Amino acid sequence: MEEIYDVVVIGGGMAGLGAAIRLAKEGCHVAVVSRGDPILCLSTGCIDVLASGENPLNGIANLPPQHPYHLVSAEFIKEALAYFLNEIALGGLPYVGSPEENRHVLTPLGVGKTTCLVPETMAASTAEKESRIHVISFAGLKDFYPSYIMARIPATDLSVYEAGPVSTMFLATQFETDEFLERFLNWLKGTDITADRIAIPAVLGWMRALEIKRMIEEETKRPVFEIPTLPPSVAGIRLHRTLKRRALDLGIQFYLGKPIETVEMAGHLVEAVTLESMGRPTRVNGNAFILATGSFVSGGLLSQREGVTEGVFRLPVFYPPDRATWFGENFFPPEHPIEDAGVLVDEEFRPRAVEIDNLFVAGSILAYARVLRYGCGHGMAIVTGQAAASSCLKYLKVAAQGDTCSRTV
Amino acid sequence: MSMKSKTDVIIIGGGATGCGIARDLALRGVPHYLLEEGDFARGATGACHGLLHSGARYAVSDSEAAKECIEENRILRRIGKKCIEQTGGLFVRLPGDSKKFRDRFLEKCEEVGIPTQILSPSRALEMVPSLNPELEEAVLVPDCSIDPFRLCLLNIVSSRRRGGVALIHHRVVDIVKERSRCVGVKALDLFTGQVKEIYGKIIINATGAWGDKTARLAGCDVPLTLSKGSLIITDHRLTNMVVNRLRPASNGDIIVPNEAVCVAGTTSVDVPDPDEARLEPWEMELLIQEASQLIPAFSRARIIRGYTGVRPLIRGGCEGDSRRISRSFRIIDHENGLISIIGGKLTTYRYMAEKVTDLVMDKLGLKAPCLTAEYPLEGQEELSGYPLSKRLENLNEIVCECELVGKREVEETVNRIGVRYISDIQHRTRLGMGPCQGGFCTYRALGIIHNMGRISIEESRYILKDFLQRRFRGIRPALWGAQLREEQLVEGMYLRILGLGEE
Repeated sequence: MEEIYDVVVIGGGMAGLGAAIRLAKEGCHVAVVSRGDPILCLSTGCIDVLASGENPLNGIANLPPQHPYHLVSAEFIKEALAYFLNEIALGGLPYVGSPEENRHVLTPLGVGKTTCLVPETMAASTAEKESRIHVISFAGLKDFYPSYIMARIPATDLSVYEAGPVSTMFLATQFETDEFLERFLNWLKGTDITADRIAIPAVLGWMRALEIKRMIEEETKRPVFEIPTLPPSVAGIRLHRTLKRRALDLGIQFYLGKPIETVEMAGHLVEAVTLESMGRPTRVNGNAFILATGSFVSGGLLSQREGVTEGVFRLPVFYPPDRATWFGENFFPPEHPIEDAGVLVDEEFRPRAVEIDNLFVAGSILAYARVLRYGCGHGMAIVTGQAAASSCLKYLKVAAQGDTCSRTV
Repeated sequence: MSMKSKTDVIIIGGGATGCGIARDLALRGVPHYLLEEGDFARGATGACHGLLHSGARYAVSDSEAAKECIEENRILRRIGKKCIEQTGGLFVRLPGDSKKFRDRFLEKCEEVGIPTQILSPSRALEMVPSLNPELEEAVLVPDCSIDPFRLCLLNIVSSRRRGGVALIHHRVVDIVKERSRCVGVKALDLFTGQVKEIYGKIIINATGAWGDKTARLAGCDVPLTLSKGSLIITDHRLTNMVVNRLRPASNGDIIVPNEAVCVAGTTSVDVPDPDEARLEPWEMELLIQEASQLIPAFSRARIIRGYTGVRPLIRGGCEGDSRRISRSFRIIDHENGLISIIGGKLTTYRYMAEKVTDLVMDKLGLKAPCLTAEYPLEGQEELSGYPLSKRLENLNEIVCECELVGKREVEETVNRIGVRYISDIQHRTRLGMGPCQGGFCTYRALGIIHNMGRISIEESRYILKDFLQRRFRGIRPALWGAQLREEQLVEGMYLRILGLGEE
């Protein structure tokens, strides 16, 4: 007999992996279907909850009524974020911050990016013009130009380490080796540092980053922090790796790199998705499904000249009908109505206007999310992912008449 | 602080005509200044489809223009090898297109001396496999693809080598008159804010669509009708030959391969102000639809940008004060030291320059023959050319992945021309001209220029923001599919990673 998962999560980004982990911890047998590395890997690794104002939770209360955050309570948001942070901390990637306080991390342009929850390696980040920072860069690092920072924060010092031909990915891998690390620390010993803090592009290894940061702090007796970089972004990849490893530890099954070919329905239920493969199509059966395939960049939403569609289930998509109005006139400020495009859901995160009982939708594919304008990407993905997971659990409970899941932990 | 200079001839406008006049004057030994408000080729020169006409397009409607085109086509192919790609062109007749028109077309081409060759559908498809397979026939003509920006630069090389001065990013704010004669101009250096006074014996107004605005500075009129033409660019070449529709000229009847991309155009809409012309959504739809009839793959091609140029067309009713040399362009002697040149097309820029310069020589009482058709454009020997093999030679540090521009090329360009606007570097290196339209590489290029100590951070952040804003206006009409995806990624990078716009 074919295997039937309790839940099949489609999409392996923040929303999908977060939901999958929660479901697995509740005892569900979970599969994740993902086409490849999510755009989470391109992100700074910082969790933006709402990048306007000083208190994201207060700001959320003032968002337009259609925003997906309003589908859950403030308590749920706090609980979901705390749950998520606890999971990645267990996975070896501790974060700091509170959803009631925004912070500003220094970017490669020398300005402060407003965000909320950040990896501990960025905890000491500061973007104050009066800061006294010593930037350590690497010769030839393509997308990192310390002069941007030095010009905006005048007291900035700079040292450049010669590590041969470099990229952020290469440096992170190098830092994982004791030999490179030792050489770097020795070089640092000979560097005259008088500034209050040390800033380094986010390349301090993969899963050892925190340990390496502490070693540098010990060596220099100063707080050290990482500066998130443009893609490939090591800090974003660390977060993805941590989530994925956590998911694997919890027994979650991954189907990677294969696009979904067909969706199989039975009445009001999705029964399975089949994946394209070199030989026979792979069939992934589930009792419930979560769709978390992201917006346009991730490929969850597809735009053509004729309009916007959803890529897997062909769900009805809300979008501004006239293409001429999709984008505002200006790049700054980015007021683009196309950001409203997405799937409309009910309070249970089921897609509206179709009758599918066992499908739940989460993340930036949701209509009115406006991730770029509001700066709410990862936060909204985590919260709606958890919310969709809990609706999904409720559904499974009812469907199994009290028996939560087919497998017990 | 003001700065005064003296010369013989002042040219206003750095399009093909202005640059062509500068070269012509230089070869005849006449001192001159050229002033351009933006970069070279900023107006219609840079915003056309980059076609070196064979003249066939005009054969039926205007045989005089067609004749000028084929003659200039031959000259430019000879003197400007490095800025012209001899693609050849096809006029494609689709089912329903008039056969009568085709007969007239062939007849008229022969009359004015444009070589043609009739191709069967299968032969045409061999030459351009992406053509609509339903075609009835095609006619081969010597259309070429031309790089208008390079053309301007090469003309300026001759000027500079002979002491000519060309100032870009200088806006002429006033034409100075003495006893009702134009004797000089005041030019505002848009970068430093300094006003420069330049005095000369003759001032030439070669500002194309801005011709009337410029003439008004001297209290003169130039009768212009402004007609905008919009074009769209694909992310790769869908054809290696110019493809025209064999029917009377109308919207969307041409596709031109240019470097790594294809340009399809054009529309024709009267506009009141050249600075306000924009590509409208309906034009985008129409151009895709029409181009898809010639090359079906166009309907699914990735459009990376759209743009609009404004044609300065002659308006009748100024007889007596102008010398009619051609139906397609006109030289107006305002009889007060100012000469305006209007109309014309990129293909005939050299001929127009020759006629203007003839008049200038006359006015100055000088005698020297025009040599611009005799010698190849200077400076071509220094051009590496765009072939991939050439670009791969020094690609240790790629700055622009789309167009394979290396760090060294950016640095060399900055050292050579200085840097005021990122677009100046883009025009000269093709940095940021590919699918991402500079989304990734502009930040890098500015970082490099910054490291070279050539600009302050305030300048670079201003330049970056300004660039992103202008870039966005160009790609905005083309945002769907892959281009929309890329745009949201770029937006995310600048807003959510780099924090640009946070202060």
